[in-house]
Amino acid sequence: MDVTALLRERVWSASIPLEISLHTADCASYDAPPYLVHVPRLSYLAFLLPKLHAFFYTSLIYPSVTPTEAWLDYEHVPLKWHYPLGLLYDLYSGAEPAPSHDTSAEHAQVPSHEDEETPPWKLTLHFSSYPEDQLVQLDAQEKHIHDLFINNVKEADFLRNGTGKTVMSLSKEDSEQLWEGVKQRDFKRFTRVNNKFLNPQGATLRHVPMRLYLPHAASPQAGHLVSSSPHVQEVGTYEKGVITGSVRVVQGLVPLSSSSRQRQTVGTALHTLLPNLFRNTRGPCLIAAPVLHGAILPLDAGLEELIRTTTYVDGWLHIAFVML
Amino acid sequence: MKPVVSPPHLSTPEFHTACTALVNSFDALQDALKKRRWLDVTLDPTENMLRIAKELPVVANSHQDEFAHEGPEIEDDDDDDDERLHSMTNNPPIVHYDVLLSPSYRVPVLYFYVSDTLHRYPPTMDTLYSYMIAPEHVEQTKDVGVLGGVTITDHPILNRPVFFIHPCRTAQVIEASLGAREVSPIEYLLMWIGAMGKTVGLDVQIELFLKASELTEKA
Repeated sequence: MDVTALLRERVWSASIPLEISLHTADCASYDAPPYLVHVPRLSYLAFLLPKLHAFFYTSLIYPSVTPTEAWLDYEHVPLKWHYPLGLLYDLYSGAEPAPSHDTSAEHAQVPSHEDEETPPWKLTLHFSSYPEDQLVQLDAQEKHIHDLFINNVKEADFLRNGTGKTVMSLSKEDSEQLWEGVKQRDFKRFTRVNNKFLNPQGATLRHVPMRLYLPHAASPQAGHLVSSSPHVQEVGTYEKGVITGSVRVVQGLVPLSSSSRQRQTVGTALHTLLPNLFRNTRGPCLIAAPVLHGAILPLDAGLEELIRTTTYVDGWLHIAFVML
Repeated sequence: MKPVVSPPHLSTPEFHTACTALVNSFDALQDALKKRRWLDVTLDPTENMLRIAKELPVVANSHQDEFAHEGPEIEDDDDDDDERLHSMTNNPPIVHYDVLLSPSYRVPVLYFYVSDTLHRYPPTMDTLYSYMIAPEHVEQTKDVGVLGGVTITDHPILNRPVFFIHPCRTAQVIEASLGAREVSPIEYLLMWIGAMGKTVGLDVQIELFLKASELTEKA
């Protein structure tokens, strides 16, 4: 197996141990055991919520609540079930990311040590007080998660090819295979369709689908959300300031090869998208570091290699930042 | 005014020019009566985000009376009813239409949500079809994609769920309405609002359109 395929498979199989407890406000007993599970980094909490409902069903104060009322938090931060779990973990868990010792670009670090020694990430499950201002509410048919996923897949395709033709021309069967591959964790089914995206016929890869997730403290402009209008009074706490755990999502047009034919790396991209934080293309930022799949990204890692090996299932590099 | 260089796509400076022209046209309409359909139009220069605010029109859809029947005590108690009416007239729900240039698709994208002191209009598909989309547009909107042409996503700046119209077909729509014509950025923006906003209650009033043309000609 070549290195690309090997990395792809390792990223696919990486998982995070979770320990999920039912919030006391929803729990009828004092000793409901927690739910222990390994969830793949590339998967979504949306798929877990119905299972949690089934597990905690007998402990619920109101057994009539549906799985769509379920939501999870970590230290009072409601977790977006449409973010991949790996991104949520890298953003909020506070776990130390693996250092990028190996700075040769061909070996972007993929964590291999997320084994039994990793302590479980302790999350709290709720079935009441849905934070509808912060989270999309799940639906029984999983249509919202499907819609959000497809939108991301389309946008990634548009960035890579400049047209979005590959997604639009997918057969109905292929679209279903892709989604089922994601849902059922079927690597072969997923990869067969995903390879069509990565190797579009008669086209070269143009732009890099990458999103950067900055904690609010790292972004001086992020507080600037309140309407400056004297006529319109905004309501709701989120308008007045920064909510717990909110992040600033940054994305832009990052060409895969720059005009000077210079190889695009994590460093060149961060310099373009976050010039205030990454003042040059090689030197590390002193206050924040990019994290992907639990490891600090080497700044000289090539973006094309990353796209082919370490994207999430929607085709994006979702990069979290940790404050140093 | 210089025409848009590569329609149907808009560059960041062109988008900024268009938004500024719209804000200026709105501000130039001093007559409050003429302005009342849109409460406010502002440009957030840091984010390059156009914000249009409008009172939520009372839509006579099927779910409209749901809230009035929420609790039986409200029907029986006149005082409560009055209080509810009073608070509604003082703080009418506001629809915020935020327009951002998609960094990927290079076309404007419409995000919208309701702010309401009583939190009656959360970002759900139920709110969408009961209050945001006029009944005559419901069928055509539902008939696209997994969930319909208008769905819910995280606002790129506020990072919380709002309604939005997915931009993957916008370029096609603009291309079709443009034909071979050259347009200025503000004309592009007004046309875009005309094409994308109608189904979700955002329309350009004629006075604003005329004012924009007038200002464009002067410039």
